[in-house]
Amino acid sequence: MKESLKRIWKAGWLNFQRNSYLSFGSTGVLVLVLLLFSALMAINFLSVKIVTSIQEKIDVTAYFKVEASEDEIMRVREDLTDHSEVKNIEYISRDQALEEFRSLHAGDVLIQDSLAELDENPLQASLNIKATDPSEYASIVTFLEGNKFRTLIDKINFYENEQVISRVQGISGGIQNWGVILTMAMALIAVLVTFNTIRLTIYNQKQEIEIMRLVGGSNWHIRAPYLVEGGLYGIFAAAVTLIIFYPVVYLISPKVEVLMPNANLIGYFSSNALQYIGMVLIVGVMLGVVSSAIAIRRFLKV
Amino acid sequence: MISYKKVYTIYDDDFMALNGVNLDIKAGEFVSLVGPSGAGKSTLLRLLTREITPNEGEVCLDGINLASLSASDIPLLRRKIGTIFQDFKLLSNKNAFENVAFALEVCGAPLEEIEADVPKVLSIVGLAKKINSFPHQMSGGEKQRLAIARALIHRPKIILADEPTGNLDMVNSYDVVKLLLKINELGTTVILATHNREIVNSVGRRVISMEKGKIVRDQVEEGKYII
Repeated sequence: MKESLKRIWKAGWLNFQRNSYLSFGSTGVLVLVLLLFSALMAINFLSVKIVTSIQEKIDVTAYFKVEASEDEIMRVREDLTDHSEVKNIEYISRDQALEEFRSLHAGDVLIQDSLAELDENPLQASLNIKATDPSEYASIVTFLEGNKFRTLIDKINFYENEQVISRVQGISGGIQNWGVILTMAMALIAVLVTFNTIRLTIYNQKQEIEIMRLVGGSNWHIRAPYLVEGGLYGIFAAAVTLIIFYPVVYLISPKVEVLMPNANLIGYFSSNALQYIGMVLIVGVMLGVVSSAIAIRRFLKV
Repeated sequence: MISYKKVYTIYDDDFMALNGVNLDIKAGEFVSLVGPSGAGKSTLLRLLTREITPNEGEVCLDGINLASLSASDIPLLRRKIGTIFQDFKLLSNKNAFENVAFALEVCGAPLEEIEADVPKVLSIVGLAKKINSFPHQMSGGEKQRLAIARALIHRPKIILADEPTGNLDMVNSYDVVKLLLKINELGTTVILATHNREIVNSVGRRVISMEKGKIVRDQVEEGKYII
């Protein structure tokens, strides 16, 4: 058995070597597929990062009318605290709000002057609510809308952020859908090219195959070298992909980080290196072997 | 041992290669199949190696209908049958040893068996000194003897020789036939398809004459080439 496997491996390797130019073509197309596949993984990582960073910034703020007393606001706060989806509530009193507003616009003389002109604090008290999960905001808003102190609430500020999130999700979903379609199309082309390469190998070795059949070579012995050849295209394509992909990620990672400080691309692909390399290898070998299997089925009579 | 029962074979182009052939061959026989091209000699041999199956009728070996064999049984059948062709079918990039060894390798034989058996069989066919020669360094007769060595490597019960002397001169042709007779004497059934009159007449064994897909004459003993 060991001897047989060794012979099959050797025959497959020889096919791969002898076909050098054709092997180059098949490997090249497979590399393109694997690179696209890798780019898709990177895009996926980045879009998840963008969405989570935006989600972290979302909150619901309920602004209370000026006549609402602190006592009443505290009762609303207590009602909200009972909800499990509420992570954190911050109360900002009217005075605090004014304080913050003043310090925010400390350099703006016009605003400072206008504030001085006013007899009364124009700012509203507010409750700033963070949810445990972004999808819970809608239910928090519904709760506030239906609360018995609803009349005290002037406005609930949430909807603008929701739109941003759904837009980011829409864009990243679109990119991913098109990416998947493109990768699939390239994979199909790669299968066709590899299939043709194997077909030519089979054609070139017509005589050898005929003799193998003649002398009673087992079906496995006749077919397996072509599967090995297909698998080798996948392995080489994976190796070339990694050799290209990692330096590229290394180069663009700092540039991406300038735009998105928490998106460390190279860190992501280094810490998940084993999974990523394994995935690229498996996809490459699968594509090669499947193309080969189709060619064998179609052209190799045993 | 071998029996053809009412065998009809029609190729894709509607050519009827065999037209109701009935034939029995006993173990240890030396049979010459003669007839003009297209008479159905090669088709008869191809049925036996299960390269094709008959459209009608049965081809049996040791009582087993060959059409009933599964794909994985076919290689086992072919190991029982050695085949020799007019064009030798040798691998030009392999030397004599490797050409014979190849037949064992693709059947999964261990290395020790290959190293022991290949030189033996090469010396049986008289190629002991050519063990490292490549086909292009050999004469036609030597190439055919190498092909015979390869056919013998599985110790087959049957040798099928399809025009083995077609590319050889008279001297080499007689050498090859003498070798086939020697193999036959050791107990192997030999079926020789040829249209070489001198060869057939010199062998003087059973001669089956074919024409247009039918057996027209079966001379069981001391057969001659008659058409």
